[in-house]
Amino acid sequence: MGARIEAAAALTGHGRRKASARHLADAAARACLTNAGKEPGDVDLLINAGVYREDNMGEPALAALIQEDIGANLGQPPAGGRGTFSFDLINGTCGVISAIQLESGLLQSGVIRLGAIVTSDVDPQLKDPAAVPFRPAGGAMLLGWDGTGTGFTDFAAETYPEYQDLFGSGLVWQERQGLRVSRRTAGRSQMVIDARPGYHARLADCAEESARRFLRRLGMGVGEIDLLVPAPSTPDFLDALRLRLGVPGDRVAYVAEDLADAYTSAPIAALQAAIRSGRLGEARNTLMLAAGAGITVTLALYRRAPGPAALG
Amino acid sequence: MAGNGSGRHLDHWLALQSPGSGAPWGCRIESVGVKLPGQRLTTRELMSQTSHHTRIQLERLTGIHERHVVGPGEDSFTLATGAARDCLAHSQHQAPDIEMLISTSITRSRGRSSQSFEPPLSLFVKQAIGAARAVNFDLSNACAGMLTGVFLLQDLITRGEISCGMVVSGEYISHLSWNAARQIRSVFSKQLASLTLGDAGAAVIVERAPKGGGIEVIGFTTLAAHSRLCLAFPSTVGPGAQMYTKSRTLQKVAIEDMAPLVAEVIGEAGIDLDAIDYLIPHQTSARAIRKGTEEFARRLGARPKHVVVNLEEYGNTSSTTLFVALHKYLQEGRIRKGDRVMLLALASGIEIGMAIFTIDSQVDRYGRTH
Repeated sequence: MGARIEAAAALTGHGRRKASARHLADAAARACLTNAGKEPGDVDLLINAGVYREDNMGEPALAALIQEDIGANLGQPPAGGRGTFSFDLINGTCGVISAIQLESGLLQSGVIRLGAIVTSDVDPQLKDPAAVPFRPAGGAMLLGWDGTGTGFTDFAAETYPEYQDLFGSGLVWQERQGLRVSRRTAGRSQMVIDARPGYHARLADCAEESARRFLRRLGMGVGEIDLLVPAPSTPDFLDALRLRLGVPGDRVAYVAEDLADAYTSAPIAALQAAIRSGRLGEARNTLMLAAGAGITVTLALYRRAPGPAALG
Repeated sequence: MAGNGSGRHLDHWLALQSPGSGAPWGCRIESVGVKLPGQRLTTRELMSQTSHHTRIQLERLTGIHERHVVGPGEDSFTLATGAARDCLAHSQHQAPDIEMLISTSITRSRGRSSQSFEPPLSLFVKQAIGAARAVNFDLSNACAGMLTGVFLLQDLITRGEISCGMVVSGEYISHLSWNAARQIRSVFSKQLASLTLGDAGAAVIVERAPKGGGIEVIGFTTLAAHSRLCLAFPSTVGPGAQMYTKSRTLQKVAIEDMAPLVAEVIGEAGIDLDAIDYLIPHQTSARAIRKGTEEFARRLGARPKHVVVNLEEYGNTSSTTLFVALHKYLQEGRIRKGDRVMLLALASGIEIGMAIFTIDSQVDRYGRTH
């Protein structure tokens, strides 16, 4: 038994309008609910694991705004009614798997019946646009409980703080200079992303080490993994990881080209690719793996119950 | 479809956890730690530095006499780390016992960064205190962040997935006050609430307890129809953020909608409101807390024995208020063994969270003798 993937949807910003993190997450959440045949009011818990927003809003949680946008249980709380609980979780590219672990537990204990995880990132408006490590994208997935045996069964998260300086981001105050500086526009908080050379190579090192340790703990070999759902999907990380682990290319969920540079949405984009190709439904053992700043590696094993292949 | 089949609470508005859910373990609050900056700022001093002559009688309106504010070298990270160390000093656990560490600050200043994003602040806190094996991530849920963290740890602990976890928050948030002071003109300003903020760090360790023991009930919901009543963004006036709050509407909605949710929680605990010895609400203004308590009493037909208000000394320390207040009352010996406490989080979103538990042996590690 485990938390079962009901649906996953990922998308990029299209059209002339500048992408907004909230709108990308809203659109992904709506698409995901439609795919699963669920109503917004069915969602008991909504976790937003996106990081980079156009306005860098500090509060409330972006998840609350997304809950309002999609219309999940907005009525006044009456006795016996049903609400939705929303908050943000921040763990870079690893945030989705952290959120899956939390929602799986709450599904298992019966506190929630349907959990949603949403993600989105937009251009953080760096001084050097070439340094933007990702493309605006949004993602959403739904988790329910499956009593028949299909679902997430095991999780792991490890950090390698010796590499904590290889990737960092934050807002830095920069005063405006010049004669026309007013009291109301004395400066701005500039997003600074510091990615050092060799970051992706170290990500692959750490991901391999954590994946091998995780599989050892479960008494499994790499050969028993039918499908690898990795994040990020950048070739310098993914190719290195695949070769080191010895996972053949046909056992990797590659994302569509337009989602290749998704950031926190990358795990959901890979899941969507695996569902669309039918491979998630066929795989007995699927390993979700994400690696990101910290260096942090999160892992989740998704098992399919014996029997005919299913959608997810 | 159902989870382990033992604990559905879907007839509630809140996402609720209680020992009645059939989980194999209980979860108790084992220790609380606080880090307050040494520097203090009185309301009179703050209001004397507004750019405009405002005529706002802030102390009379809010009950806040002073608040602690950071000095040189202090930030969200140092406050969080200091609180985590204080929490360990009051705990029977060592840092390596912590299996999960959740940082829940709204502000995440560290070094030159006024708001850090990656790596998560929790990574640096766990490094600083030596909680090497803890799984870590950050969580952002406005002023309800710390109690949200306890809610999540409670589930992991009662299911037996982990046995000990820490929630920590360091709020260097007084820059909102300075940014508001530069702009505010009257009592009707949407930045008025920013003048009530103070800096503090807080941490709490929760651990496995025998089945049926520990936290009696904990629940959360988001009243997202009101998600835009309080918004904070990076400021262009000065470093840090500025916050816009429709305080009167927020207060009105909170009072209106919170009573049935309080009824759900005390109903789940099988008690009346007068069985609560100490209600610790989120600290916004003394007037708002008084009004809210009166409304609960009117609607629920009972009132808690004591309502904790510590605004005079600390102001609103955002996500840390509940645990700063709990720590103070433990330290001063005002809350005693056997007292039943209710924590009530209220935050932008609107997030509403509640937890009820009875004070046990943790009280022995506080006070002058410690």
